[in-house]
Amino acid sequence: MTKKEIFINATFKDNAIWRQILGICSALAVTNLMLNSLIMGLGVIFTLAMAGMTISFIRAWTPRSVRMMVQVLIIAAYVIIVDIFLKANMPVISKQLGPYVGLIITNCILMGRAEAFASQNKVMDSLVDGIGSGIGYTMVLLLISFIRELFGFGSIFGFRIMGDWWTAWSIMVMAPSAFFILAMLIWIINTYYYKVKA
Amino acid sequence: MKDSFWFPIVFMLINVVLFTGILAVMYRYSEVKIETYETASYQQKILGTMAAKIAEVTEQSPEEIIAAYPSSFEKYVQKLEPKDFEREVYKAVVDDQVVAYCFEIKGNGLWGSMRALVSTSTDFKTILDFAIVNQQETPGLGARIEEKWFLEQFQNRLFVVNPESNDDVTQSYEFIAETQTPVTDRQLKRVTGATITSDSVIKMLRAEFNYIYDYVRSNEL
Repeated sequence: MTKKEIFINATFKDNAIWRQILGICSALAVTNLMLNSLIMGLGVIFTLAMAGMTISFIRAWTPRSVRMMVQVLIIAAYVIIVDIFLKANMPVISKQLGPYVGLIITNCILMGRAEAFASQNKVMDSLVDGIGSGIGYTMVLLLISFIRELFGFGSIFGFRIMGDWWTAWSIMVMAPSAFFILAMLIWIINTYYYKVKA
Repeated sequence: MKDSFWFPIVFMLINVVLFTGILAVMYRYSEVKIETYETASYQQKILGTMAAKIAEVTEQSPEEIIAAYPSSFEKYVQKLEPKDFEREVYKAVVDDQVVAYCFEIKGNGLWGSMRALVSTSTDFKTILDFAIVNQQETPGLGARIEEKWFLEQFQNRLFVVNPESNDDVTQSYEFIAETQTPVTDRQLKRVTGATITSDSVIKMLRAEFNYIYDYVRSNEL
């Protein structure tokens, strides 16, 4: 596979959320605001890319019996690096992110891509796969959060879009709305993309 | 070699040492920067909660006082260390006269503990201003208690049980939906989707104010 194919596969064809159903917890939790989704997405893109590259680099020496422990260790280390860097150099953004940075460790996509791709492929391919998977994940998060923030708060990225006449839909601020929107998104994509293609 | 008994152990150990070492060096290098920012941020919050009261006496605007940090903090704010009092406490002094007190208070939210700074009038009964130092509530829901509109609702509100009449006015505070407009001075807006967190803030203020008020009735700060 070329790098372009790896990227397209990771971003669209094998999208982590709508195809592999990974990273659902964070897709439900952080998508009430677009800014939260964007920041979470950027953190996941960086961690996926760097962790994938490192895991791929040491794959020839990694014993099977401890490979998952090593993967968790590497992922956790990169997440902590992001956290320390933001706290020291971008304290305002770090404050806005709150617990999100730490939550990146719990994202299933990271272990999923480490185990399914990075541990079996070349370094640069793993980097491209990590960036592609992260962009695919961020794209879905932004789509869900666009709908939730618009109807739940009447705003986009914190900027008021709806007028004073708008009555906010409280359900959109709460987690159940993310379930409905995500389920509909998966249904639409399966119906109009994968089935048509098949 | 990879299948030997010792190789996985040694390999894991090398990785642990390597990554922990990288993190330790990185943290050590950033530690001073992080602590400096946290201290400044905390002191700015203390100053911010008392800025309006300082401004009344100094004929400056609260914004000017906050903008003049750290010199304004050093000039107006003093830390107190009262005996057997288990809270951080600061006072704002202008021309040798105390104009406000600021206490660090603690309470429990939905997911964990929270810390806040609350400035009070010199009779310790009324809130002047209120700021959250840290909380572990749900981002986008309970974490919105840090928003200005929510915190400003508590300004100039009485938060202690009146010892003479035994009247606990805090019991009569009621939350209304975020989109509604309060029609009485007992109504406060709740954060949408965060009933427990909103209630926890009231509980924290009630408990902490009564602790402070009980202390100052029999002790000097």
